[in-house]
Amino acid sequence: MIVARSITKEIEKPYGVIKVIDSVDLNIEKGEFVTIFGPNGSGKTTLLNIVAGLDEPTAGDVLVSNKKPKDANVGFVFQNYNESLFPWRTVLQNVTFSLEIAKVPQVEAVKIGEHLLNKVGLLHSKDKFVYELSGGQRQLVSICRAIASNPDILIMDEPFSALDYSTTRKMELELLDIWQEKKITTLFVSHDIDEAIFLADRVIVLSPRPASIKKVFEVKLARPRSLDMLSSLEFTELRNAILNTFEYEK
Amino acid sequence: MPFLTPLNMKNKKLYYILIPVIILCLWQVISFFKLVNPLFLASPYDVFTHLISSFYNRSIFNDIGHTLYRVIIGFGIATIIGVPLGLIMGYSSKVYNALEFTIEFFRGIPTTALFPLFLLVFGIGDQAKFAVTAWGAGLVILINSMYGVHLGKELRIRVAKTMKVTGLELFRKVIFPEALPQIFNGFRVAISLSLIIVIVTEMFIGTEAGLGKRIIDAQLVYQTADMYAAILMTGVVGFLLNKIVMFVENKVVHWKGK
Repeated sequence: MIVARSITKEIEKPYGVIKVIDSVDLNIEKGEFVTIFGPNGSGKTTLLNIVAGLDEPTAGDVLVSNKKPKDANVGFVFQNYNESLFPWRTVLQNVTFSLEIAKVPQVEAVKIGEHLLNKVGLLHSKDKFVYELSGGQRQLVSICRAIASNPDILIMDEPFSALDYSTTRKMELELLDIWQEKKITTLFVSHDIDEAIFLADRVIVLSPRPASIKKVFEVKLARPRSLDMLSSLEFTELRNAILNTFEYEK
Repeated sequence: MPFLTPLNMKNKKLYYILIPVIILCLWQVISFFKLVNPLFLASPYDVFTHLISSFYNRSIFNDIGHTLYRVIIGFGIATIIGVPLGLIMGYSSKVYNALEFTIEFFRGIPTTALFPLFLLVFGIGDQAKFAVTAWGAGLVILINSMYGVHLGKELRIRVAKTMKVTGLELFRKVIFPEALPQIFNGFRVAISLSLIIVIVTEMFIGTEAGLGKRIIDAQLVYQTADMYAAILMTGVVGFLLNKIVMFVENKVVHWKGK
């Protein structure tokens, strides 16, 4: 569960103060999957960092499962899997990293790690090093690593934007599959509108900098989701409605 | 992969020995026609026979042993001091600010120019040789370890921080392995530098045995063939030391460049 009240973030630069986020409210239920859709450079990443406890807001406050973000267990999946995975560790050792930090007994940690890897079809690669895997597989390892310790929330910052179209769609299905099992509250930033709708219970549309919430859309597609929904009438109508919130300047 | 076909493997080996063979031929031609006074340049034939006989009468083993021993001790001390101090300097801006000027200053002074100082402090025994080698190699290792921390990927540290990894555990599990590739860059430069410094100290500080002493002794009595034989042997030792470090590097830092 994520509750945020009027988060504002200002950054001091030599030429003055820049407002990056302008009083954003969030109310994300336990087990809900919410995507944030907004233009690049709008302060999405700063917002995620604040929710994850990596950054402090200038004003407003955030609670994650009734705790301060710093004290909550946060799983974070970054866009750049190459620079976020640990290349000196095997696939399984990457996945069990947070369990190791939490001093979970090794036998149990391995069991949890192997279960997750099996779920995403990477069990046979558990003793490989991450650089021996494809890009999509590497990001699956990051996702497994982020959720291994059953975090209060899972935050994903454009995790699939470096992957090709068909891999991205496959990854989305894998992600939903794990999410369905664990029901982890998820905040997912995307700049791909199809992705934002396909995954989410709700889509939050952000304005350009300073980021504020422009509109929130409910996604009423049934779960489990399947790829044919991408061409359903419901989907396309929602897609148009979201696109209509953007004013294009010439 | 196309460049691993048998034919190309052959070509690769051919390229490998091409330049050495050209140098040998040039050397043979120069000494055959006496283009250089034989007092300064022995023929390859003489040099190789002297080298082989020094293996036969075992006299060179003692020298190789002593030189290797000094290189390993000097390099070892350099590693033990240089790596931790470099990592701390890379991590803590306070330590960095406190030491940066001093280290940059000493880095500019050639190690060889500090011989007299080391002789004063450590005497003319092996200790001075260890110390001067450790000094020269240690600076290289320290600076590379420091850059290892600076060049590490910030994102991995952020990942660790989202998992609440802090303090010594962050250092041990993320910052140190992240710095390892750069630490090994330092090792490769430092091992060659260690050999250079040991040879020079053996030549100029004086000792009972060592390849440097063998070179200077032969030079003093104009045993040119012996001198080149010892120089050649030093080259072989340096080559092998470098190969050993590279071998260990490939095992330890298996992810480098991938």
